[in-house]
Amino acid sequence: MSQINITNVKIAVIDSDLLVRDFVSTVLMYCVNRDVLSFDNGMAAWRYLEGADSPDIIISEVDVSGLNGFELLAKFKEKHPAKKCLLMSANPDDEQLARDSGADAFLAKPVSVTDLFRVEAFVV
Amino acid sequence: MLRVGPSSGEIRNMSGEDIFSSRLKLLIIMAKAYLTGFPIGKYRKQAIIENSRYVFYHSLQLVNKIAFFKDQDLKVQAGIAFTDDMHEEHIFYQRTQLLAVMVKALAEGRLKGHFREKALKENLNRICEAFIFNFNVKDVKFLKVA
Repeated sequence: MSQINITNVKIAVIDSDLLVRDFVSTVLMYCVNRDVLSFDNGMAAWRYLEGADSPDIIISEVDVSGLNGFELLAKFKEKHPAKKCLLMSANPDDEQLARDSGADAFLAKPVSVTDLFRVEAFVV
Repeated sequence: MLRVGPSSGEIRNMSGEDIFSSRLKLLIIMAKAYLTGFPIGKYRKQAIIENSRYVFYHSLQLVNKIAFFKDQDLKVQAGIAFTDDMHEEHIFYQRTQLLAVMVKALAEGRLKGHFREKALKENLNRICEAFIFNFNVKDVKFLKVA
């Protein structure tokens, strides 16, 4: 598994559920001791992600409005192939789709603190 | 592809209860990391304060909800008995509320002195016993650096 240097790591979380989005962001902020960006829909996230200052790791729920997680993954990987895209879902059918789409990780919901600590595996 | 989380049969949306329980576990880890002497850092401090606030207000809601049933008149009217389990829950959420205050204070550098630290350890142990949560922060390498 290739890794990203912790000194520069930028992470974005995309989930339309405020409680989940805030929880995931807080855990990751604590993990890496860096600020974490968050977006409530795929389109707003993409507007930011396509820029030059794009995050190194994005963690997106599959079921988000605007662009869904798979659409966001495809666009993000096309633009930034070396960066990491992790998908979260409450639907078991999405796991195989995530694998086929080239996601770097699949986070099955409900995600726990220790599950999120494993995201650190992508960071040196 | 890395795969984390429950098995496919147990996948579901996260409830408010899931979030509270996960945030409480995070708060316990934060307190244990502090007591172990791990560094905090700017954003980790921000995460600790945000998480403490959430646990505090959610615990407060739960304490108030249980206190509602504790009221003698309401109990009779609603035909609901205030059981020993509810009493234990009431104490538990008061402890989680106290933990949130303590952890926020430590992030802000206000939890000074031997007895305050002792009180934090005791409260933490009681919560972990009731919550059945055992986590060794020394196993988490990234917590050792800020």
